[in-house]
Amino acid sequence: MPTIDIKKHDLDGLIGKKLSLSALEKHLMLAKAELKEYIEETDDLKVELSDSNRPDLWSAEGIARQIRIALSGKPEVYDFFKHGRKATREIRVSKAMKSVRPFIAACTATGVRMNDDVLAQMIQSQDKLAEIFGRKRTTVSIGIYELDRIMFPVDYRLAEPSSLSFMPLGMEEKLTLAEILERHPKGIAYGGIVKPFPQYPVLTDSMGHVLSFPPIINSREIGEVKSNTRNVLIEVTGTDLRMTMLTLNILAVSFYDRGAEIEPVKVTYPYGTEFGKVVAFPVNTAGKFKVPLATFSAGLGENVALTDVKKRLESYGHFVSAVRGQVTVTVAPYRDDIMHPMDLVEDYAISRGYDSFEPVMPQQSTVGALSRLELLSDTIRGHLVGSGFQEIMSNILCSREELEDSLQPDEQLVEVDNVMSLAYSVLRHRVIPSLLNVEAVSSKAFYPHRIFEAGEAAVFDQSAIMGSRTDLNLAALISHPGANFSEMHSSLDVLLYYLGLEYKLEPSDHALFIPGRCGKIIAADDAELGFIGEVRPEVLERRQIAMPCAAFEITLNNVLSLSIKN
Amino acid sequence: MTTSELQKLLESLHPLEHKVLLSFDREGALSASDILAKSGLDESRLDMASGWLQSKGLLDVKDESTTSLVSLTETGKEYREKGTPEMRIMNALKEGKQFTVKDIIQTWGMDPSEVSSTVGSLKQASLVQIAQGGVLALTATGSVYSSYDDYELIKEVFSREPAELMTFHPDQQAMLQANFHKRGKSKGIFRITEKKNRLYTLTSDGKELLHLIKERGVVTEEASALTPEMLKQGTWKNKKFRAYNIALNPPRQSIGRKHPYKEFLDFVKYKFIGMGFEEMRGPLVESEFWDMDALFMPQFHPARNIHDVYFVKNPVAAKEIEEPFGKRVAATHKDGGKTGSTGWRYAFDLDRAKRLILRSQGTAVSARTLASGPKIPGKYFSIARCFRYDAVDATHAPDFYQVEGIVLGTDINFKTLLGLLKLFGQEIAKAGEFQFRPAYFPFTEPSVELHVKHPELGWMELGGAGIFRPEVTKPLGVDVPVIAWGLGLDRMAMVALGIQDIRDLFSRDLDFIRTKKIQLG
Repeated sequence: MPTIDIKKHDLDGLIGKKLSLSALEKHLMLAKAELKEYIEETDDLKVELSDSNRPDLWSAEGIARQIRIALSGKPEVYDFFKHGRKATREIRVSKAMKSVRPFIAACTATGVRMNDDVLAQMIQSQDKLAEIFGRKRTTVSIGIYELDRIMFPVDYRLAEPSSLSFMPLGMEEKLTLAEILERHPKGIAYGGIVKPFPQYPVLTDSMGHVLSFPPIINSREIGEVKSNTRNVLIEVTGTDLRMTMLTLNILAVSFYDRGAEIEPVKVTYPYGTEFGKVVAFPVNTAGKFKVPLATFSAGLGENVALTDVKKRLESYGHFVSAVRGQVTVTVAPYRDDIMHPMDLVEDYAISRGYDSFEPVMPQQSTVGALSRLELLSDTIRGHLVGSGFQEIMSNILCSREELEDSLQPDEQLVEVDNVMSLAYSVLRHRVIPSLLNVEAVSSKAFYPHRIFEAGEAAVFDQSAIMGSRTDLNLAALISHPGANFSEMHSSLDVLLYYLGLEYKLEPSDHALFIPGRCGKIIAADDAELGFIGEVRPEVLERRQIAMPCAAFEITLNNVLSLSIKN
Repeated sequence: MTTSELQKLLESLHPLEHKVLLSFDREGALSASDILAKSGLDESRLDMASGWLQSKGLLDVKDESTTSLVSLTETGKEYREKGTPEMRIMNALKEGKQFTVKDIIQTWGMDPSEVSSTVGSLKQASLVQIAQGGVLALTATGSVYSSYDDYELIKEVFSREPAELMTFHPDQQAMLQANFHKRGKSKGIFRITEKKNRLYTLTSDGKELLHLIKERGVVTEEASALTPEMLKQGTWKNKKFRAYNIALNPPRQSIGRKHPYKEFLDFVKYKFIGMGFEEMRGPLVESEFWDMDALFMPQFHPARNIHDVYFVKNPVAAKEIEEPFGKRVAATHKDGGKTGSTGWRYAFDLDRAKRLILRSQGTAVSARTLASGPKIPGKYFSIARCFRYDAVDATHAPDFYQVEGIVLGTDINFKTLLGLLKLFGQEIAKAGEFQFRPAYFPFTEPSVELHVKHPELGWMELGGAGIFRPEVTKPLGVDVPVIAWGLGLDRMAMVALGIQDIRDLFSRDLDFIRTKKIQLG
């Protein structure tokens, strides 16, 4: 989740009070934020936000707002959301937008007292919202323009990639839309969003001037905000209307917090939306929740008073009325994360402070227990340790190369699709290869080597719902100049004796073992438990192991189901 | 040394040391050969025992001289038996035999190069000439020649072997030097070896100790080990057991041992059993449904990007999503279903839910447990292997363990959540101080981060927890509140193991694994 940069004096200014660093750290908890760094010389704060569902907090304005409300104890009212305000400016959406990038929301902010801090926050907040909340501009992207250069109405429409051209931000020449995707850094980075379509989205004003090529880049002429800009048009386009609207609301309240006037912009859709065909933005989409007091008391584990709940929720930014054992909460317009009364229970707890709650131990009694599989595994681990075996633990994600020569003709591996490194591209299907990995790098460790691992493996299984199953396997390996079948067999024999399992060895072929020196381990009912054998010299040579090895591997899930049957 | 120190030293003397000391039956220095003669030891034992005595300050090496000793090589011995090649050729000619160089090689079995050099030198000394048909013949001088100095010398060396080089006549010495065996020259006749000759004297402590030994009388028999025979026959009664030097390092053993990281995880496991938790397990390959959807993480929302996952190549998707959970979860995402939530308000994609991935969080196991009719009240934990699509480095392992779990009950609420976390802090991290911070997890509300003051690590984040959203529990058929918790224990494990690189938790180096100790509790 985002880490943002803020000048401390800017934050103090927005809060309206100079906070000490320790006070700030404490107050940041209100925003689920953590102070990562403060550089005194430059007055720079680095703050990490953890709530991906509260994009309103990803800016100096947002954090300051949450703290300011807590200090004043009252929610802040944003008048410009009031219904019935006349919009004098219009954006017309063309029909074709529906299948490309259907939604746009916009408003104006005038009388912005722009300075370097404001500009920096504006750019940062635009960036974080579009990158993280807007999933790299796919769902939501933002444009901010010099209002005074635009002749309304503005059209949100499609244009031919090779015919329309304008001078994008950061360039000295006019480029067509197609050229922008090829040559402009932003075009290269985000072009994938529009490339599937034959025509690309543009915003043009009534003079035919291009405002921007959403979600790629603004025009340099109209879409460049400077430190002397006073009036701006804020526009958000996207594929999800609610996310588009919320993004606009967040930007609008932030400009308002900076002293700007917010005026609505009317958007005319040729197709219906959740909020109608003609919508004057910004629109307050926040929900209303009626929550009984008992929900708070039960959720928190203590009886709380109605007036207290009202007070705490208000000092967290909610509009609350409290009557007859119930609170009615209207959520602030910059938040869209309240989905369930439990969200308000958390807001209450954060507002009051987590350290004001006394930790209480749950009283209901329960019985601790290991799973039968883990219990079996622990029994076996104890047995092998007692028999002189060193336990090993290995990565389950590994390379195909490590496993290839241990695959039986009918076996397949569970493979990763989005491989980052070939070293971690498949899941192991058995454990012996992990033990061979140990042998491959441990020739300097004094012999004899007696090692084992009880660990999970993913077995490709066409018949399983998930296409594979997870087995818990036990593998043991011995390595020394005289390591052979018979020594390994006696370790297996004594183990199975103590597990109370009758078994026999059936001569068999296995990719890992020398032909004629390998057996299938078969239990009663002909259940297959695993394999034992002397490791093939080809297998050893491939790993540059210069010491004979013998090994066995059994599937503990099969051992367990046998012992349950018996 | 004091007498008591000497007494103690006496107790610990090895029988070989005794023998060496006792060979000093007169004042002054003894040469190695003297000691060998008197003690009956062989050279290597003398070396060993004198070394020990020197280190104990009982013996001094007074002087060191080198003697060159002459003996016969294999070739020399052969010549002594059969005669030198010159002699054999000359004698055969004198006996009137007729032969060529080729005959010598073929019938006498002599080395071709040896034959040709011998014949060459006989020719040069004008003793032999080559006649018609390559047949050898004696010259006039040859027929009366009879002095074979080298053969005489061979005989002499043989009679005195090993003989000191210096005792030979200077002419003989020159001959010996010219024919002695050098490395790589196989045909040498003589071998000259250098022998170091040491002179040993007793130190004053050594003399005193010898005196003590004599005073005490010679110990009849010293035993180094108690044997079954001694016990059976009672002969141990007459024996004295030599004291060992117990300060020596013991030899290394290969033992059976738990993996140190597993020992740490066992410790955690038993802690949870002790706190009343039941173990739960789940598959390594999960569907997005159990890993994320069932946990109310919306499919097309940034909350899903909290971590990136590994997708499975084949098969791409699970065959089905278990019902009624699939339908209920879909409805909950869309409009809240029957959970009292607004839901995320989007069209849930069942195909996306079926997409197979490598389990990215242990909470997937909790989701499956919730859907399987858990006990109420109930406490569950799992130590689950998880996978994240991260570049692997000293702080990111390709796969790692997450310790996660749930607590179900009618008495579950925010305060019991804090109570449980405090218990974890005390039991698992031995923490005395706690801090609870507001946190965000897509599947819990309220959510909390537990920070504790660890005795060695200082303030650290021990884990995250919260009360599962009703959007998670209700669709899975659970109607009581449920705590979900997860602990980050790798840092603690690394401290307990004394390692800096997280990848070393799964080291392949057997020596490393064998020698790593673990500090628990």
